[in-house]
Amino acid sequence: MTTVLLDPSNEAVPAERVRPARLTALAGKTIGLLDIRKARGDVFLDQLEAKLTERGAAVIRYAKPTFTKPAPIDLRHEIATQCDAVVEALAD
Amino acid sequence: MHDTVDLEDRGVPSVFVSTVEFVDGADAQATALGTVPSAVYVEHPIQDRTDDEMRAIADAAVDEVVARIVG
Amino acid sequence: MSTPASEAPEPMKPPLPDGIVAFVKRDCPTCELVAPVLAALAKEAPLTVYTQDDPAFPDGAPRVDDTDLAVSWHHGIEAVPTLLRVEDGVEVERALGWHRGEWEALTRTTDLGPGLPELRPGCGSLSVDPSRAPELAIRFSGSMLKARRVEIAALEDEQEAFFDRGWTDGLPIVPPTESRVLRMLEGTTRAPDEVVATVPPDLAPCTVEKVAINAVMAGCKPEYLPVVIAAVEAACTDAFNIHGLLATTMSAGPVIVVNGPIRNAIGMNAGKNVFGQGNRANSTIGRALQLVIRNVGGGRPGEVDRATLGNPGKVGFCFPEDEEGSPFAPLNTEFGFEAGTNTVTLFPGEGPRTIVDQIARDPDSLCHMFADALRHMLTPKMVLAFDAIVVVSPEHSRIFREAGWTRSDLVKRLHELTLMDGDDLVRGAGGIADGLPETVRGNQIPKFKPDGLRVVHAGGGAGLFSAIIPGWANGEMGSAPVCRAITP
Repeated sequence: MTTVLLDPSNEAVPAERVRPARLTALAGKTIGLLDIRKARGDVFLDQLEAKLTERGAAVIRYAKPTFTKPAPIDLRHEIATQCDAVVEALAD
Repeated sequence: MHDTVDLEDRGVPSVFVSTVEFVDGADAQATALGTVPSAVYVEHPIQDRTDDEMRAIADAAVDEVVARIVG
Repeated sequence: MSTPASEAPEPMKPPLPDGIVAFVKRDCPTCELVAPVLAALAKEAPLTVYTQDDPAFPDGAPRVDDTDLAVSWHHGIEAVPTLLRVEDGVEVERALGWHRGEWEALTRTTDLGPGLPELRPGCGSLSVDPSRAPELAIRFSGSMLKARRVEIAALEDEQEAFFDRGWTDGLPIVPPTESRVLRMLEGTTRAPDEVVATVPPDLAPCTVEKVAINAVMAGCKPEYLPVVIAAVEAACTDAFNIHGLLATTMSAGPVIVVNGPIRNAIGMNAGKNVFGQGNRANSTIGRALQLVIRNVGGGRPGEVDRATLGNPGKVGFCFPEDEEGSPFAPLNTEFGFEAGTNTVTLFPGEGPRTIVDQIARDPDSLCHMFADALRHMLTPKMVLAFDAIVVVSPEHSRIFREAGWTRSDLVKRLHELTLMDGDDLVRGAGGIADGLPETVRGNQIPKFKPDGLRVVHAGGGAGLFSAIIPGWANGEMGSAPVCRAITP
């Protein structure tokens, strides 16, 4: 159930979560591939890595300890500081 | 999905890949998290796929994945 | 996700039909008693009966189902039965409960309810039932709240949502639900859409409603709201220059001193630990002002707020003067108000510095101690640049009382004792590179400008300590204290 709260600000900016801008290009960027550790996801990500590398991106591979919980904070911080964009896969 | 929402809060454009089975769940989770989902859906099932089949699924998805992180 | 305020729910006040209008509920002995009277009236006059609980009650009279209480609420029905006389859509007479004389007069009939007692009080109307009131208030008056609605998704934590949006001061807030804000607005007679001030730096108009939202977040009770509104008004005057005070690299923030009977009415603390934690009114009123400046004005640390060090009081710094124990007239009399008027006085100020004097028995000795601390306030090498508040506590003020000193006697003596020797002020004097040019040598210069020293009486009854609250820059670019009446 949603809660409705009143906006305390001067309402000059949108109240929604602001999403970060997308990249302008793939080439030359560092893309993180985060494996959630469900079966076959690694094969999927291996192929994605090959394709992204072909298109000029640098790829860093990560894996979280378990798909049952959010990734540990240290891992999220590491990814955020090292990567320009992230692909998380593969949930079924 | 929580991870991609958190990473986006940290300023990193992100996309989440799941199978089509996950569509409703992903939408519900995204709505519950108060965000617009950035998700790509691949065919289901995947558990029993061969490596070659998995690679084909990845090839089919790559353009859409790139489209979600490059604007 | 946010919803435009215009999508709020309920319609306007429902009109009443002409003639006699009754409001009843079955679960009310008096309503049951008068049911036959209503049935009889129905034969003689145009009658409409609104029933709050059972649409089948009462028998024999034309009934309207008001189980959603819209009509009862909008027409302020407080008791059942209530009888109204409506002419041309306007209520012209009202009777509460059963009273033969009143009912006969209102309906212009005679011989009503033979066999009934002369009068019998009614029961409470469901539309004012405390268990229903919050829901009804939101349903029927929620539309008077114009602020954008922010929907917090099911898995989002309300606290995190507000932190994420930058709407807190780093501490948790009370989530401003419609119900809480409506309740807060009951603390003032002013309309929610009335503009209270234009808040720097964004120069956004701030309505009573926006103050109420931030007051809820700060943790205020509705009875604190008029104080917060007055503080916002005072802070946003050109004289107080909140923009300058916010943007400074110096440490000061707005300090609020409250005078008048309202201090006690809302339970403020002017005694022990007056500057510290623990009292809801002291803590939340100052905080509400800072939240308004942050959220409505857009003034945030690291952005417009460039303070190098700041001070802990910038979360909020508000305290009442102890008028009852004071030997002096209240602070607000210095600003032209009569003693006993509810006011807020806004000063720019940083954290208090304690002055310890445990020996002085005469006022002059104590003044020397205060003056020494004042001369060294912020820097011993500048004059006329900053103002100060001296907070005299009861054990010290007793000394002035016994000597018969007034507030102006004290201020005058402090000015005399804070004359600085030019020779001590020059660059290099005292081994300190900072200082004033050689031209000041041989002169005596006052540390404070003529109205730069103010005295407030506050603090616990035991302890030979007073305090200075160092101010900020005065003059054209600075801030002047502003005293403002608190209106209900």
